[in-house]
Amino acid sequence: MFLRNKHQEMRIRAYNLTILVLVFSIAVTSSMAQADTAQSREYQIKAAFLYNFIKFVDWPEEKTADSNEPITIGIIGKDPFGDAFEPIKNKPVKGKKVIVRRFKSLEELKKSGEGNKSDKHPQIEAIRKCHLLFICRSDKNNLEEIIDLVKDYSILTVADTQGFLEANGIINFVMEEKKVSFEVNVTAAKRAKLKIRSQLLRLATRILEEKNSEGKDS
Amino acid sequence: MASQKKSLAKKLTFLLISLLALSPTPKVFAEQPDPNSKDDFFEMSLEELMELPVVVSASRQTQKITELSVPVSVITAEDIHYSGITTIPEILQFTPGVDVRRFDRSRYGVGVRGLLSRISDRTLVLINGRAANDFIFGAPDWSTLPILMEDIERIEVVRGPSGAAWGANACTGLINIITKKPEDILGYFGSTTINEFGDSYTHIRWAKKRGKWSWRLSAGYEDIEDSDAAGAGKYESGVPAALNSLIDYSSYTTQDVMRNWRFDSEATYRYSDRTKWSFGAAHSYFKSGSNEFVGYFPQSDDMSSLTRTFTRIDHKFNDKITAYLQWYGKFLVSHWPNSIARYKNDEHHLEGQLNFILADKHNISIGGNLSLLRADISRGNNANELVFAGEPYSEQWGGLFLIDRFEATKRLTLEGQIRGDLHSETDEDWSMRASAIYGLDDAKDHTLRFSVARAFRMPGIAMRTNTKSSVFGLFQILPIQKDLGNEKVWSFETGYTGKLTKELTFRADGYYQRFEGVLGARNVVTMFGVTNSTFDNIDGATAYGAECELAFENSKGKLSAWYAYNGFTTDQFEQGIRAMWPAKHKAGLTARLFLPDGWTFNANYAYNDVIGAYNNILIGAHAFNRLDLTIAKEIADGKGEIMIGVSDLLCKTNKAITDVGALTAHETPGRMFFARVQLRF
Repeated sequence: MFLRNKHQEMRIRAYNLTILVLVFSIAVTSSMAQADTAQSREYQIKAAFLYNFIKFVDWPEEKTADSNEPITIGIIGKDPFGDAFEPIKNKPVKGKKVIVRRFKSLEELKKSGEGNKSDKHPQIEAIRKCHLLFICRSDKNNLEEIIDLVKDYSILTVADTQGFLEANGIINFVMEEKKVSFEVNVTAAKRAKLKIRSQLLRLATRILEEKNSEGKDS
Repeated sequence: MASQKKSLAKKLTFLLISLLALSPTPKVFAEQPDPNSKDDFFEMSLEELMELPVVVSASRQTQKITELSVPVSVITAEDIHYSGITTIPEILQFTPGVDVRRFDRSRYGVGVRGLLSRISDRTLVLINGRAANDFIFGAPDWSTLPILMEDIERIEVVRGPSGAAWGANACTGLINIITKKPEDILGYFGSTTINEFGDSYTHIRWAKKRGKWSWRLSAGYEDIEDSDAAGAGKYESGVPAALNSLIDYSSYTTQDVMRNWRFDSEATYRYSDRTKWSFGAAHSYFKSGSNEFVGYFPQSDDMSSLTRTFTRIDHKFNDKITAYLQWYGKFLVSHWPNSIARYKNDEHHLEGQLNFILADKHNISIGGNLSLLRADISRGNNANELVFAGEPYSEQWGGLFLIDRFEATKRLTLEGQIRGDLHSETDEDWSMRASAIYGLDDAKDHTLRFSVARAFRMPGIAMRTNTKSSVFGLFQILPIQKDLGNEKVWSFETGYTGKLTKELTFRADGYYQRFEGVLGARNVVTMFGVTNSTFDNIDGATAYGAECELAFENSKGKLSAWYAYNGFTTDQFEQGIRAMWPAKHKAGLTARLFLPDGWTFNANYAYNDVIGAYNNILIGAHAFNRLDLTIAKEIADGKGEIMIGVSDLLCKTNKAITDVGALTAHETPGRMFFARVQLRF
């Protein structure tokens, strides 16, 4: 009764193998999904930070003179935010609509001839019209070049890359114990004619100022 | 066929075990804000996004805990969850500078920096910023509060006068219980705790978000057996102790049972990005056994029915201006069969607050409240009773406050708070707090604080309107001879808060307080041996002390240790302050460890010194060591948790503690083993 023929054995093995593959797939998918969820959550929070930064930064009048012009958040490089900005469609800041524009990485712009700053390509012009520019990690090797490209256009540059402040970036996200915090280069902000309000500065974990770094790592 | 079924069952078991083993396990079961609700991130402030510990009780504004104008300790939802404790006073016992004494199984005295009794009216208690104190007697009845432990987001304990922000009676401190937002706890939740003596605590909850609506509905039942049933209950006399030899306590049995049905609800409607309407209702139906009052038991078979309701509108005018307006009510009906046939007390409070930022440097809050109380107390037939004049009785009061937090320089913040109060029956009065908070570094990781504050305590209605209470002719409370004035306190404080490393923080606070016109009882013993007691403003008192806390916290756990020295002395020898002095020395330790595979270990320890007055130990206010241990394990893929634990491991019974105004008291149970099961889905 308990003896099985070869055909039955094969079926049982195939069945077991199917279960094993199924379990393995679920486990792998589950861990991948968890990783995706974690990353997605991190950038949902960072998107909300960017939205909040706008509230606590004052741009020079020439940048905000047109009251009908929306506040533009630019994202340059491989966009990690996904649809994280969806909720802000109906959430104006300072009485202005907020829009998000995505740009190719600098390498790709260069390849297409748009990266030459002497050129007046529409993409470069569009980047320079942004109020806030988030430089994705995919462009971490081009930080200084991108910052140089926008330095005279009163743009709040933000990234989540080590060494961003030292490359004259203005705000850099850092992760501490899985919590998002940020550091600020006040000198770079002043150079860009941006006024960062004290409510934002007091939350920064590091403040970098010209000559000597007065802030300290927290 | 049977073998095939067996084989299938084995495979399914294998599949389930594999899934359980391979599934990711959340680190903690304690509830966190829902991470998947991305709309909410855009509603959050920067502090909330950074998950910074923020508090609102120090100055009615959301502030970083390291930059406050008054010391605040925060008991988090995680602290409550892993403690396994089912009452608010007992979790407060593990907080620096808080004195908690249990008089029987359900009655507690809680005082920030001491001065406690069952009627601790020098510490103001709030639920979500709304008064929880009973204005007849002046203190909350902790067990009747319609709030369930796992619904608490955090408890903010403010040490120091806080009247400028919150009004009368926040003299020695403030306790603000803040509940969880519905959107942070979506889904179903059930929890039940049972201990070795049959006490139980059960809580079920449903929270949902649909469109612009979100809501939370909670219900719970608590059943506590009397002290005798829990292996304690030995009676002894209070003052004088000599009575112990004259009274046959063997005939006394404890009657401190308690049954409590609680319901709590809250709903929010987000009308727009700028406007939010929230409302809620909570109710508790409380039945308890005897409660002694100077030798007799007015509250034998006490029944209390407390309803709290609120409605509130929050509006954001722009990034710099926000406001709220709220009404809340408290409706208490109580029945004390031995004395008062009906005790009815209705309160209505209308409150508003406007916050705005001026010149980018001033965070200003202005607001006020109008309150109305109406009490109706019907006499019973027993002569030994509390008697109030002029029922139905009503009072009105109101106040206005102004708070300015001024960031003077990058490192220096100045904060001023001032408030004036008018009352229909007592003196008009005022409160203030002026503070300088100076950052020793630009990031303000190390801050120094200097403050001066003033607050007042209003004499409770029971104190002012009591016409006569007598006990067997030996002791009687006589009507007041003249109008009672407010008790006033001035406080001078300094403190340091330091973030020593990313994970290590230290804070130390010192204070000197001067009380004037202390409200208490003037006792005169007649030639017939009768003690006549009259409420009066009796001279002054001085409090002084310091608290310090070192805390280490990261994703693997938490370790904190604290010590408090709370000194107190009255101007007159044996001056009746109608409260217990603070325990001079208090210390505590909390250790929590998140172990692999969903295990969590938690330990809470507290030491309290004896409560002394002029070197005499008040009867019953003994020193104690309390150690609670719990171990919890997640089950069902993080959707459930089983906990076993023991509270008060070191003491089998707690010695009798005689409340102010009581003549006898009995032991209460100490060590208790318990188990808890929770499910969330």
